[in-house]
Amino acid sequence: MKVWVIAELKEGELRRVSLEAVAKATELGDADVLELHSDERASALAGATALAERARAGAPDLILVGATPAGRDLAARLAAKLGWTYLSECAELRIEDGQAVAVRSMYAGKVRATVSGTLPAVVSVRAGIAQVADAAPPRPGSVQVAPSGEGLEFVRFEETKTTGTRVPLGEARVVVSGGRGLKGPENWKLVQDLADVLGAALGASRAVTDAGWRPNEEQVGQTGKTVTPDLYIALGISGAIQHLAGMSSSKVIVAVNKDPDADLLKIADYAVVADLFEFVPAFTEELRKVVARD
Amino acid sequence: MKLLVCVKQVPDSTVRVKVAGDQKAIVPEGVTWAISPYDEYAIELALEHKDANPGTTVGVITVGPPRARDALRQALAMGCDDATLVTGADVETLGGLATARALAKVVDEVTPDLVLCGKQASDDDQGFVGQALAETLGWPHVAIVTKFVASDGGTEIWKEVEGGHEVWKASGPAVLTVQKSQKDPRYPSLPGIMKAKKKEIPEKDLASLGADLGGPSVEIRAMEPPPARKAGRVMKDGDPKALAAELAKLLRDEARVL
Repeated sequence: MKVWVIAELKEGELRRVSLEAVAKATELGDADVLELHSDERASALAGATALAERARAGAPDLILVGATPAGRDLAARLAAKLGWTYLSECAELRIEDGQAVAVRSMYAGKVRATVSGTLPAVVSVRAGIAQVADAAPPRPGSVQVAPSGEGLEFVRFEETKTTGTRVPLGEARVVVSGGRGLKGPENWKLVQDLADVLGAALGASRAVTDAGWRPNEEQVGQTGKTVTPDLYIALGISGAIQHLAGMSSSKVIVAVNKDPDADLLKIADYAVVADLFEFVPAFTEELRKVVARD
Repeated sequence: MKLLVCVKQVPDSTVRVKVAGDQKAIVPEGVTWAISPYDEYAIELALEHKDANPGTTVGVITVGPPRARDALRQALAMGCDDATLVTGADVETLGGLATARALAKVVDEVTPDLVLCGKQASDDDQGFVGQALAETLGWPHVAIVTKFVASDGGTEIWKEVEGGHEVWKASGPAVLTVQKSQKDPRYPSLPGIMKAKKKEIPEKDLASLGADLGGPSVEIRAMEPPPARKAGRVMKDGDPKALAAELAKLLRDEARVL
């Protein structure tokens, strides 16, 4: 089995999901890691064109891509270009009788499906697909991507106000999310302080992003991001079905809500019925002690 | 400018979906159907362009079962100019690539300047058809789009990326897969609903399009609800400081996530 991993870098380092994809590839067969290089920003089309040429010559059985927004875009165009099977955002993956068999969520997390497709296949994999190996990953081979062309040119980058240097939501091991119970954007320091102590990514409910308290990119749930961290802490989120779909596969869930009937409290491993304005600062302080001791 | 929006009819996002006995599909009974959320944002983006640029036409198309006509009717009521239903046997189990190839046949006839799709449908959550359609057409695509404007000899397209937006320029036709943007999709107006009722929705037979509907597809082996979560430990009625200390200890020693 020849398995290729298209690695994605962030600030010069392989992203966690890419490292996991390498571990998965090694488990499934002979792993080769490839990295896209271009002199300017390359489109997914340009990346897919370069990779398809390489794949036609190298004939791998399977190409793995981390299911980041950029990774999914590239993987979809590449699969279409090659005319191969495409499986998107897979949480588990195995090979069985020439088929790629994957577990992935459908209906925005309301259904867990086992799906399969014939090899060769392109598969985008979610964070959590495998344990990162202790050994250093193989040195990536380089694939040169031609400047865009093909009717599409990069014009400029417009920076927006963001959450800064925090871990991306989709790959975070710990996520701290806030909801309408925070009462207003001016109270987000409570969420941020807690997230800082844990090195967590910031999340939000749809009510909060719709109200403009927080940017859309922080939204967890349907029309937002699906997350599966080790620890998900929800502050003042009642738990609409669309939100639950996006986070209920987290390993451990903590919910803090004043309303004892909040739906999220019913599925939380630790359901704290308390006024978050009193509880959260105290909790942040306690965690600071625990984290400092380790 | 001539715009074409591809939509899919899916269970409404507030619906609790149930898996059928054979585990191959969901139970259709009791489901309220709606336009997939990102496709609604795509319609809104197209209609905003039309509002700002009279002379723009917005067509809408779906490949789906006869009930998907309701989704098209909804799109017309929102303000789209015309609608096309592509339907036929086995249309509900059509794979992403085959769907894209069927759509491409209609795009060839309609010759729009831009095709807009939602970035993924909220039923299979694949995020494949937009890219596959662009590939079939031999067009470029831009994914995760929140805005576009016509500019000198082309279209400027805003793509959401970590930390901001990339602006790309397409010199000719392109496929855009649309992300949620700040502006929510509009509700149909009453006159819009009345007008939509009277519009013809022509139907095209999937098998007669001449599209290659073979190729790799994804087989669903089994569907199940996500593992149910057991009710956890309820912590209440205490001094917040004491509760906080207890929870921190539990997360470290019992849950072992710190």
